[in-house]
Amino acid sequence: MVTEEKKKELLEKLKNAVIQYDEDTAKEGAQEALDIGMNPNEAIFNGLVSGMEEVGRLFEAQEYFVPELLMCADALYAGLDILRPHVQQLDLGVRGSVVIGTVEGDVHDIGKNIVKMMFDVAGFKVYDLGRDVPLDKFVEEQMKTESDLVCLSAMMTTTMSGMKKVIADLRAKNPKVKIMIGGAPVSQDVADKFGADGYAKDANNALKDAINMISSLKKLKEEAEAGKK
Amino acid sequence: MRLFAGEELDRTPCFSGMGNITTEGLKSLGIKFAATHLDAKMMADAAASTYKLFGFECGIVPVDLCIEAEALGCEINVYGHSEDLLYPTIRKKLIHNENEMDIALPADLHKKGRIPLLCEAIRLVKKDIGAEAPVGTYVLGPFTLAGQIMELNDLLKLSFKKPVKVGRLLDLLADAIIIVAGEMEKAGADFITVREMGATSDVLSPRVFKSLILPYLQKIFAKLTVPSIIHICGKTNDIVPFMAESGARAISVDQKNDLAESRKKLGKAALIFGNYDPYNVLVAGTEELVRQTIRKCMDDGASAVWPGCDIWPTVPGENIKAMMDEVKNYRR
Repeated sequence: MVTEEKKKELLEKLKNAVIQYDEDTAKEGAQEALDIGMNPNEAIFNGLVSGMEEVGRLFEAQEYFVPELLMCADALYAGLDILRPHVQQLDLGVRGSVVIGTVEGDVHDIGKNIVKMMFDVAGFKVYDLGRDVPLDKFVEEQMKTESDLVCLSAMMTTTMSGMKKVIADLRAKNPKVKIMIGGAPVSQDVADKFGADGYAKDANNALKDAINMISSLKKLKEEAEAGKK
Repeated sequence: MRLFAGEELDRTPCFSGMGNITTEGLKSLGIKFAATHLDAKMMADAAASTYKLFGFECGIVPVDLCIEAEALGCEINVYGHSEDLLYPTIRKKLIHNENEMDIALPADLHKKGRIPLLCEAIRLVKKDIGAEAPVGTYVLGPFTLAGQIMELNDLLKLSFKKPVKVGRLLDLLADAIIIVAGEMEKAGADFITVREMGATSDVLSPRVFKSLILPYLQKIFAKLTVPSIIHICGKTNDIVPFMAESGARAISVDQKNDLAESRKKLGKAALIFGNYDPYNVLVAGTEELVRQTIRKCMDDGASAVWPGCDIWPTVPGENIKAMMDEVKNYRR
């Protein structure tokens, strides 16, 4: 029997492991959670993810910088890798698949990887094309995997214009697919001009925006379902 | 050049130390963007064209940021197949994991990759417009260069976990940069910008900047003989005093810096270059926005009106002309 007290202690342990970028403790905590029969979903969202939310806050407050953020992400993945195989049913309400990558000419992928992490957490099937991805490849992969969502990232103004092309191609082939763009040079204005459904303001806010993306997608889905009824 | 000597000038200069070739310039020469990276004459002609067409007060080569990494043994991609404006990137890194960080510099580094080509381009621009405008070039800072030759992910984490190991690599890369910059000086470069954007406060804490990056920047600037500039983009408000301690003659910041505040911090004599947004203002902005922004740079106390990064080639010539006009007619 899992006592509330024990549960709370473990969630706290997972949360702190992420904040303190302690991979070993994250692994240990995840295994303990499984051993005592805790719901893995709860361990992920109320433990690991709530730790990551605190990391996002520390990052915004400029107490943490990118190196810390990367190490925290490693700790989150260390726990997630143990818990995920035991997740029966996701309770986030959205399930789907996403194609994600950094566009051709751009080799920056840290922001993209942080967004990807949030999709992993949310239980999406993630098709990560990596960085410096030829523009046609996004369309090809979306068709092949029938993904609901395509996320394009560009860190530099110099590569941003490639996104416009991909969006036009995707729209032509599959008008229903949702497209999100992100990266330092991207703005709402750019998203509107390029015809994207959403955008992540910059790499700094990638974490927060990824959470927002997921919830906005959830809303889209709810609306679609409400429409059916 | 009198600016660097600390002389009083009759107006604020308007130039750059970073790439500024334009699509209009390329068109007038009949050159493709990708070709400028691999041919000294084309590179030099493209660089000189911004001065010739619009009066922008400098000639800068190269165009891309991969010169040093390539000379150290990385493989680059110039996207020769593409009709788009794609800047070269690193295709194959030199260091693939933490255990490969103990590298040695090639004995003939100054002959590797495109360094001879770049030096030839410097000589050509110099011959072409050198009598009228200063000819500049740039190198990367050691941390930014490290981020090119190894996984940035690893580098960032190791700067936190194993700063001594990262420090050793930065020290070696500082040596490499000194060698490359020495060649550029020999070729006749009038000034050199060291671009250390990887160490921006968007990524690294000011504390790590001071302890891990600054010592190697100081090592480099101590060896440069021509006027030098340290450029960092993104958040720089907290590291401006450290940039001033680097030994560079001038510091360069982008639009995210509060220039008036930096001027206060560093005093009247410091050379601070900046800080207009080269894309959203100069390329995508209206003429009025350009004029307004340029006026603000000068109001804030910029020693030179200077972009926050490379100028994206599709910049409308009219906007550059408006900028030059604003600088020339500015009255404080």
